Amino acid sequence: MMKRTAFLALALATALLPASRAAAQTKVTLKMGDNLPDRTNTWGAIVEQINKEFKAAHPGVEIVTESYLDQPYQQKVKIYATARQLPDVFKFWSFTSLLKPLIDGGFVAPLVRADFEGLGYLPGALDANTYGGKLYGIPVSTDLWVIYYNKKLFKEAGVERVPATVDELIALVPRFKARGIIPMTTDGKDAWPLSVTFDQLAWRISGDRTLPRQALERKVKFTDPVFVQAARELQRMVKSGLFQEDLMVSDYGAARNLFGQGKAAMYLMGSWELGLAAGNTFSAEFRASVDVFKFPTVTGGKGTIDDLFAWYGGNYVVSASSKNVALGRQYLLFYARRFPVLAWEKQAALPAQTVKPRPSDTPLARSILRIVAEARATSGTPALDLSTPRFKDDAENAVRELCSGLITPEAYVKKLDKAAEKAARK
Amino acid sequence: MRRARTVAGMGAIHVGLVLFAFLQLFPLLWVFVYSLQRSGDLFGNDLLRLPDDPQWSNYARAWVDGRVVRYGLNSLIVVSAATAASTFLSFCMGYAIARMRWRLRRLAMGAITMGMVVPIHATLLPNFIWFGYFGLIDTRIGLIIPYVAFTLSFNTLVYAGHLRNLPVALEEAALVDGASWPRVLWSVVAPLATPATVTVAVMTFLACWNEFIMANTYLASDDLRTLPFSIIRFEGEYSSDYAVQFACMVIVAVPALALYLFFSRHIMAGATAGAVRE
Amino acid sequence: MVDPFRNRTVIACLMLPGLAVLAFALLVPLGFSVHFSLTDSAGFGAYQYVGLDNYRSIFTDDPVFWRSLRNVLLLIAVTVLVQNPIAFLLAAILARLSARVSRVLRTIYFVPAVLSLVIVARMWVDIFNPTFGALDKGLRAVGLDALAVSWLSDPRTALGAVIWIITWQGFGWALLFYYAGLMTVPRELEEAARVDGASWFQVYTRVVIPYLVPVISTVVVIDVISSMKQMELIYLTTAGAPGQLTQFLAVYLYQKAFVAGEYGYGNAISVLFVIISVTLTVLVQRVLRALPDEK
Repeated sequence: MMKRTAFLALALATALLPASRAAAQTKVTLKMGDNLPDRTNTWGAIVEQINKEFKAAHPGVEIVTESYLDQPYQQKVKIYATARQLPDVFKFWSFTSLLKPLIDGGFVAPLVRADFEGLGYLPGALDANTYGGKLYGIPVSTDLWVIYYNKKLFKEAGVERVPATVDELIALVPRFKARGIIPMTTDGKDAWPLSVTFDQLAWRISGDRTLPRQALERKVKFTDPVFVQAARELQRMVKSGLFQEDLMVSDYGAARNLFGQGKAAMYLMGSWELGLAAGNTFSAEFRASVDVFKFPTVTGGKGTIDDLFAWYGGNYVVSASSKNVALGRQYLLFYARRFPVLAWEKQAALPAQTVKPRPSDTPLARSILRIVAEARATSGTPALDLSTPRFKDDAENAVRELCSGLITPEAYVKKLDKAAEKAARK
Repeated sequence: MRRARTVAGMGAIHVGLVLFAFLQLFPLLWVFVYSLQRSGDLFGNDLLRLPDDPQWSNYARAWVDGRVVRYGLNSLIVVSAATAASTFLSFCMGYAIARMRWRLRRLAMGAITMGMVVPIHATLLPNFIWFGYFGLIDTRIGLIIPYVAFTLSFNTLVYAGHLRNLPVALEEAALVDGASWPRVLWSVVAPLATPATVTVAVMTFLACWNEFIMANTYLASDDLRTLPFSIIRFEGEYSSDYAVQFACMVIVAVPALALYLFFSRHIMAGATAGAVRE
Repeated sequence: MVDPFRNRTVIACLMLPGLAVLAFALLVPLGFSVHFSLTDSAGFGAYQYVGLDNYRSIFTDDPVFWRSLRNVLLLIAVTVLVQNPIAFLLAAILARLSARVSRVLRTIYFVPAVLSLVIVARMWVDIFNPTFGALDKGLRAVGLDALAVSWLSDPRTALGAVIWIITWQGFGWALLFYYAGLMTVPRELEEAARVDGASWFQVYTRVVIPYLVPVISTVVVIDVISSMKQMELIYLTTAGAPGQLTQFLAVYLYQKAFVAGEYGYGNAISVLFVIISVTLTVLVQRVLRALPDEK
């Protein structure tokens, strides 16, 4: 009798044992990927914070992140896609040139748009991530094309107001150069800032922001006079000595640091650099002097100064082959709620959602919010990223040649048009 | 007269050697000076001026935030294993090419040379899938194998070149004495090939120590990453912590430099030992 | 007696393990490469076969490919005809100095070869900077303002600057090989020639260099191949700029395959890359084998 009871007890215990082990093993690992290797500063730190909060709200969830540099990251994503091993949730871009191939290959899971309405997304933000009527990613930042400037350097050179036209901008060149200051810096090595500027100039001249898209759809041609004039203006800007002398090999970090160290008076870049006024990378003196102004108009052009070149570049997506699609979507919702608050607090990025201005905002941040508020129209994604990766490569190479003075504006637009033709034929 | 010209000539040569030494040391000085600056002070300041307030903390941060210990250990394991394997395999193949007489010898050498010309980037995607079949992705061995493969051809060429130059008499004598092949290779040939061995080992170690793109492709887990990843930990999307990065680069360069310093002595020793000839 | 040097078992044991590794990690992906070169693959997702279209494009419609090839050949020429002789000369000088001095100097001269290419690239970009770089600052200080150009972005000097960086960084290796080679030259050989009344020049050209032809041959082959594979130093400095003037094959291949999303096309470049490299290597070896080899 005793033996049987003992045996039963033992059998029961053994049967229950694996079950209890399984119960403890409801740990789910959410695999993530991004291009933010630095986890102690700015954006990377914010993501770490969000992850911490998410884990606290979802016990049993573990988050493992792989971070790479930009270029290797894009490569890795492609490799993972091919091997069907994409991270569950990963940071990416909303651009046609990058996201559409993933969507077409069935690698990205669609999201329920209704879930994200009412989270304060700016007009056009969710649309930028919508393809074929479905939402595929959540935008995380609003990217404006602006010109930062150093108020102190402007004052010292006797420049009383910011340039309102491209002609006025170019007229400033000798005044800064006389004082040994670089008038303006930008990242020439990566070429895309120059290509975006070309788009911007085209808009300023034509007043029609849909022209580049129409050219890509082959309704108009890149060889039309508007684009030729824009190319001419861009080349004129470079040839006038507006930028740093080694523009074409000067990379992002170099351009940024030149401005931050007070060696350049202006910095042509996107609104994600609003962190220039915060943090302690640069001197307090610089941080107190930095502000931003709108990209100038072109004399005789139909565009106005409040035609804002803006797009929603960065996003987060969920992998279609993930085993945790539902959890991934939950993560995105959580991210959408926390990121704008944390990002604005740390002045790390301009979110794609409305933010509450705070009394502790830097003048730079306030100026950026003002520029957004005063915008009459926005451009959407730059032409460079509206097509195939091949078009982007061709366009970047062409603008490099234009700005190195190796080809004429006419030859440049011909190359663009040829590239657009090729891309449309696919 | 002639003597004076020779003395002046020697003097000029000595000056040239010193100037050249400065040129070669310059990058180390450059990266060291910048590693002591503030990140925002890079790109634009005067050359090689030690900052007034050297940021030694950059090194502390590089060491900790760069996960130098973990990554360094991984590098040590992977690179040492790859170096040992590559040196051993290329010695074997180099000897077979240089000394053994067989019909397919020329063809084999051609095939091995062809191994040298394969561009690394063309192998990344295919190998990711191919290695994946064997469960080699995200493992140390999965990184060691391509490291060996990419250095094998060069190393075999170097060994073949040096072994061809050695007189065959000693090996013939040992074989006649009845020594087995392993014994001949280990006791007779290997010691004579020491200069080549040191060259090959140092070359392989250095090539793999700074290697990044394959590690980036074949590894995923943070715990397996190698030392070059320490450096990218200081790159943000738009701004990077340059000065700390430079400090990290100095830290990463130290073992490689130390290794070379240590072995440069052995090139000499090996050379004098190998000069025993007719 | 059976010739032990023909022992098949031993040969197999020596060769097979290494060959297996090569086949596993290099041959297989090369096969994939050939396969992808016949498609319009973007690197992932669906693709179609396009036969030899990619190759046809390269031969008829791709001036950048041919410019890249030309730049590589130029780099090879500079490396073999300029960098190598200088390295050899330096190795010969070092061989004559006291052992300790020689070792210290050799260690110092090798430093650039030990450093990560990222450091080397960043440093030279800094030095070549037209406004703040050491080179132009120095030139202006001695009044040579006209020469103070933007070395890496001026179409006239960019290629030269890039070639300089590459050959400078590889110098330590050439030195290492030639020095190790010189150490194997029997003293007696040189002494015998000196006793016969030969000048230093003649000793080197008639005795030493012929003796070292195998070593020189090895180094030149390595020069050719490493020049063809040069990627990081170019990518981190000019990335082909200005325009495509400083484009090199390995960089172009990478950009086409991974940046422009033309993976199939990039692989076609890759296959041609292998064919060109092998052809060059064989040519070089033939030429060097024809040289007198004194033993």
